[in-house]
Amino acid sequence: MTKKIDQFQKMLLIIIVIYSVFVSVKNPQFLQVQTVFDIVKTSSTTMIVAIGLLVVMISGGIDVSFMAIALFGSYTSLLVMINTGINSLVFAFALSMLIGTCLGLVNALLINWLKLPPFIITLGTQNLFHGIMTTFISDKSFGSGVLPSCLHEFGQGTLFKVATENGSAGLTVSLIPVLLAGIATYFVLRKTMIGRGIVAIGNDEESARRAGFNPFKIRLFVYAYSGALAGMMGIIYAAQVNALYPNKMVGDELMVVAAVVIGGTKITGGQGKIFGAVLGVLIIYLLNSTLILIGLSSSWNNLFVGAILVIAVAVTSYQERVKNRSHLIFTE
Amino acid sequence: MKKKLVSVILSVTMIATLLVGCGTKTADAGDTTTTTEKAETTEAADTAESTENVSADPADYKVVMIVKQSDSWFDDMATGIDQLKKDTGLNVSVQVPETGDAASQISIMEDLIAQDVDAICVVPNDPNALVPTIQKARDAGIVVVTHEAPGTADSVDLDIEAFVNESFGQLFAENLAKAMDGKGKYAGFVGGLTMETHMAWYEAAVKYLEENYPDMENVATEPYEDGNSVEGAHDKALEVLKAYPDIAGFFDCSAQGGGICEALQENDLAGTVKVVSLALPSMSSTYLKDGSMSHGLCWRPADAGYAACYAAYLIASGQGVETGTDLKATGYDSVELEGNIGYGNAPLEFTADNIDDYNF
Repeated sequence: MTKKIDQFQKMLLIIIVIYSVFVSVKNPQFLQVQTVFDIVKTSSTTMIVAIGLLVVMISGGIDVSFMAIALFGSYTSLLVMINTGINSLVFAFALSMLIGTCLGLVNALLINWLKLPPFIITLGTQNLFHGIMTTFISDKSFGSGVLPSCLHEFGQGTLFKVATENGSAGLTVSLIPVLLAGIATYFVLRKTMIGRGIVAIGNDEESARRAGFNPFKIRLFVYAYSGALAGMMGIIYAAQVNALYPNKMVGDELMVVAAVVIGGTKITGGQGKIFGAVLGVLIIYLLNSTLILIGLSSSWNNLFVGAILVIAVAVTSYQERVKNRSHLIFTE
Repeated sequence: MKKKLVSVILSVTMIATLLVGCGTKTADAGDTTTTTEKAETTEAADTAESTENVSADPADYKVVMIVKQSDSWFDDMATGIDQLKKDTGLNVSVQVPETGDAASQISIMEDLIAQDVDAICVVPNDPNALVPTIQKARDAGIVVVTHEAPGTADSVDLDIEAFVNESFGQLFAENLAKAMDGKGKYAGFVGGLTMETHMAWYEAAVKYLEENYPDMENVATEPYEDGNSVEGAHDKALEVLKAYPDIAGFFDCSAQGGGICEALQENDLAGTVKVVSLALPSMSSTYLKDGSMSHGLCWRPADAGYAACYAAYLIASGQGVETGTDLKATGYDSVELEGNIGYGNAPLEFTADNIDDYNF
């Protein structure tokens, strides 16, 4: 995907490799194809929103409302399907992504109109969207029995299966939407004028404007895109857990922000790579899903993840400082 | 000019929202008074017959139930509380925190203390974290009744339990042992390590299995946390399967066993590895029917909510609750009082055969 892997990504890969070696030494059970399949499956939803957030962050903005959008989109479309008896995966994705796009546009319009920092706006709309949903749509939970059956088939679907010691492991079909999102985003960022514009306004909005880009239009696109990906993620999430709750997902957005930042994305915009964001998500899921393997109890979970997050961010920031010094840029 | 227009439109919408908001509220209040008035007359006759305390008109008491979070379990509890309102005319309502943590429950309680309600019922997410706020409420003369929090019973007026926790834990153990033929490795899940009842069941179950089924082995010294989410149960189950490929059974003290079943289905282990879980018919019936979950255990949240709120009313109105008091809900018709804890006798066991009899 990337022609040359930059310093951040090299660092992340090293962390992943060292940690994996450590875990496999502690517990050889880690070394099996199922581990990879499991991580792909559990991280697939986060990957999609991380890619959406990456685009927003490259444009110099930030979005913390995407989980609320994902919930709004998936909950509403599945509720429609339950009530009308429609049993079509395409419909679920289409409606959810449409809702996501609309909510994303609301974000962009508010940001452009009020000229406030995107963080404040999206923090507000996060609560607003969730509140509108629970107040005016519904706040009931639905179990696997009433959900459309196509959803469960998708959630359990595998591309292929391999036999393991005591059963079988399959590679989830959720990988396809992740790949689609990744490829589409790569194409948009690298091969289109809009993608160039996103990077340009992330670096400097005024210069971008003078170069002929329209920041408003670009912002509309960026937030709508993030919203659409969030809508898509919502359906995959519901399919995987095979249940519909009105209060899940919202509250996990900072973990995704952390993953994207760990992936080397500049929080001020203008810089960021899809591969980096993917690695950031992988690190968090790797840490989250190996505690049992190395024999640590659940109580260690937060401590461990928090510590590694700080270390990872410290290392990447140190890398940047070294790079800046070598370019004779002194930021501090 | 444009700015002025926009601000005018904005303020008009805001005022409109305010008005609409107030409007619905007053309409609501009107509704409740009319319904309660109707119920009042019938209930007044009832209470006059059953107790000497004639002044204890339920409609005069405002009782609020704070649940843990919004899910189908607490949705069912809310239906029980609605039923109580219909049956007795008690002015009772339900508050649902946005997130399942102690902080949001505390802030709701603070609001209720300020509103000076008569009684607060709460299903605490973290009982110990709520104690100072409970104390504050009681200092303000508000009756506090908890459910699922026997450990902090000394700090409240009454704690209502559906059953003795030890025996419910043993029920988990017995069902799991039966499903696993009394041998093999098993793992236990709880919602969170701070969740008192989950921990009590877990410990009772593990102790019971140690004593009665020496061939069964717990893979960990501490339960795994599913964070009260299906996703959590699913992800943790996948990990456990990897770390202990020879595992033969799971029991989940939080109602998320469906997540474990999903994980087993993905690995073609459904039915081979047994699952016994706290279960809600609406969330678990498919798993019980397809055989991936062998047993579901439960109590009826609607009845528990009904009993807790009714007990709160009895205490607030000075009638009190003692051993043998009838809380009018199934399984709570004669509570067993031990200290500040009122035990009902209301466990429910689900299998593929009887799951369709319940619709909550």
